[in-house]
Amino acid sequence: MSLSKSRVVWLAILTLVLLPLLAACGGTTPAATAVPAATNTTAPVAAAPTDTTAPVAAAPTDTVASAAAPTDTAAPVAAVSPTVQPTVLAGGEGCAASATKLTWYVGLGAGADADVIPKEKAWVDNFNKTQTDACLTLQVVHNPESYDTLKAQLAAGSAPDIVGPVGKAGRASFQGAWADVGALAAGANYDLSKYDPALLEFTKDEGVLVGIPFALFPSFIYYNKDLFDEAKLPYPPHKVGEQYNGKEWNIDTMAELAQKLTVDAAGNDATDPAFDGKNITQFGYYEQFTDARGIATLFGGGLPYEASDPKTAKIPDNWRAAWKWYYDSVWTKHFSPNDDYQQSEALAKGNPFSSGNVAMAHTHSWYTCCFDIQKLNWDIAVMPTVNGKITAKLHGDTFAILKQSKNADAAFKVLSKMVVDPELYQIYGGMPATESERPAFFAAFDKRVAPNKVDWSVAQEMLKYPDLPNHESWLPNLIKANDLFGKFRKLLDQTPNLDVDKEINNLQSQLDAIFKEAPAQ
Amino acid sequence: MRAADLLSARGAPRRRSMPMGRQRTLWGWFFLMPWLIGFVAFQALPIVATIFLSFTDYSATKEFAPGNFNMVGLNNYGRLFSDPQLLQSFGVTLKFAIIAVPIGLVIPLSFALLVNSRHLMGANLFRTLYFLPTVIPIVAGVMVFQGVLNAQSGWINLMLGAIGIEGPRWLSDPNWAVPALNLLGLWGVGNAMLILLASLQGVPTELYDASTIDGANGAQRFFYITLPMISPVIFYNVTLGIIGAFQYFVAAMLIGGRNGDPQGATLFYNLHFYRQAFVFNDMGYASVLALLLFAIVMILTSLMFYFGQRSVYYAGGDI
Repeated sequence: MSLSKSRVVWLAILTLVLLPLLAACGGTTPAATAVPAATNTTAPVAAAPTDTTAPVAAAPTDTVASAAAPTDTAAPVAAVSPTVQPTVLAGGEGCAASATKLTWYVGLGAGADADVIPKEKAWVDNFNKTQTDACLTLQVVHNPESYDTLKAQLAAGSAPDIVGPVGKAGRASFQGAWADVGALAAGANYDLSKYDPALLEFTKDEGVLVGIPFALFPSFIYYNKDLFDEAKLPYPPHKVGEQYNGKEWNIDTMAELAQKLTVDAAGNDATDPAFDGKNITQFGYYEQFTDARGIATLFGGGLPYEASDPKTAKIPDNWRAAWKWYYDSVWTKHFSPNDDYQQSEALAKGNPFSSGNVAMAHTHSWYTCCFDIQKLNWDIAVMPTVNGKITAKLHGDTFAILKQSKNADAAFKVLSKMVVDPELYQIYGGMPATESERPAFFAAFDKRVAPNKVDWSVAQEMLKYPDLPNHESWLPNLIKANDLFGKFRKLLDQTPNLDVDKEINNLQSQLDAIFKEAPAQ
Repeated sequence: MRAADLLSARGAPRRRSMPMGRQRTLWGWFFLMPWLIGFVAFQALPIVATIFLSFTDYSATKEFAPGNFNMVGLNNYGRLFSDPQLLQSFGVTLKFAIIAVPIGLVIPLSFALLVNSRHLMGANLFRTLYFLPTVIPIVAGVMVFQGVLNAQSGWINLMLGAIGIEGPRWLSDPNWAVPALNLLGLWGVGNAMLILLASLQGVPTELYDASTIDGANGAQRFFYITLPMISPVIFYNVTLGIIGAFQYFVAAMLIGGRNGDPQGATLFYNLHFYRQAFVFNDMGYASVLALLLFAIVMILTSLMFYFGQRSVYYAGGDI
């Protein structure tokens, strides 16, 4: 072979080998949307079962899985952010000399979103200028790293004073680290009686009040009006008891609707015999950002143990039914996306409803953080009934004080102002815990979502149907239990041809083992 | 008279100078100090702390201070025998290593041979292109591969689909998750390629000339000259590959999440360790896992040196 010929051959070989590499370099890029994690809290009334049995000084293994875990319950922050975002430090300047220095840590729940940080900074600056008691320094840590960062600070004895917004699951990752806000309130003569006792109960962890009720996040159905219009289908009901197309608005009606809104590449909907489940371009329904316990609430609340013995696992029948329904929706009826679809570009790599290719998604009011609320043509609808009952799972957030705080009293004074601050409600998009403040909150929210006009009465209505017991309620060995529920959802999303009953029994056995492993109460 | 002469004349005592050797030693220590301080602060102390923690029930949610943990003796070590995920994580790691170490050698060696060929036009360009992915941060690389390997929208499956083959569910099928990670590992072979390329270029050309005159063909030259001559570098790469496989974490965490999805198929040893330490906050048992990993890697490396060295040819003579 002549030299020039052999050069051509070599060049061809190299080009072939290089092509995949070049394609990989220039191909798909991570989604740019930075999605803050879900806030993690529970229903006001749900704490009841948790408080009598909760461990007082639980072993390290008895805390809840980190909310930073995108695979389990929260928004897919890690999945969409290619780099670690730096910690933001702000405030602490221009304070009165006598002011007590306090650190406010943000990141375990909402608040570490790029859009939100400037608003938090402005709030802190304004707060520092308008009073002389406290000098607040804001520390914002990107959600996926925020858990480890706070653990490092706790280990080093340099923990912040105030942490939040944070929900039940987020707090549970630091079980035992929170100060008793009830005692601090008593010390400061702060009147807690103005709060609904159920809400106060809900803000307790293991029987200890760890915050003052701040914001509530009911769940409902977000729907994409454009996809309904395109399919010439009426929008889902906005009022409880309203019918849909002459039928009761129940889970079957919703499933049927979702199938009609699920479309393959050839334009067939999921009710069409020619529908191709392997080439779906649009989905009818999605259970957005929740774990198996969250999905289970579709069919009502529950606890995965015997009422008489929290150490004996027993999956409630309604949970079994909900998981089977959900699994069917993914693998048989195809109106919910499986994991591969969820992570695909067509569904915004893990944030399906935001992609505009999902007609309905069930999630909480905090989800307004995570899609273009002005561009997408959307509204909200009530949850369907299951056996005549509606269940709309509920989250709630608060600010908490760490036991390690050297200025817990001063921190409480700041906290008590934070939980009633209208600006903070707007920053975090949480419905005020106090009912009188809600009209103003929604009026301000209307401006944010314009030109969309969202029917907020749905959100208020859904507050009346919380999941009881709440899906984030205490469990023995909570962190490991939540870990199992996160894995179980993945199993449902990733595995075709599952014997769901067998897998539920398997989950029950695993739960039983870890419940029994939990330290004695 | 100059001042120095005056002093000398008055018999002023001369400062006793330090012996040269001692002076050099002190300067040596002085220049070593930055590294030493770093070593003590960031390696030696954490190692000691890990050993200490392995005997405690310390939880990561508390300040590391007396009163916040109890000494539990060998309890954490005893848990090694009843931890079902320990064997699983070893299995995953071994499965990965068995594929990753050989391909982590063969592929970069092939690339190095290609770009070392005298028949290649634009060799420097290709060397740069092959090395280029190495400079891309691992997190960004993994994010790209998440898209590439997506069963629905990834271009690998789209390409396979174009020729009528239904691609695997790379990241959601437990059987394909580790091969997918192995595929992803090829992203960073540029570094090994560069080291092998340097060693290939260090092989004396007269050996090839002599063997060509003796009638050796290309394959014979490769197996009887090239491979033995670059065997120290191959040994180095294999050793690092094995250590790297046991420390594999970032890509697995980003692809499979902290649960090692799908269904624990990517639950690598280090991920198991991470879960114990930072998910379950169980620093005591996590420390035991860290020490066990250290022991395993140490033993494997020792075995590699004991047995592997026999097949390595050092042109400079015996070591």
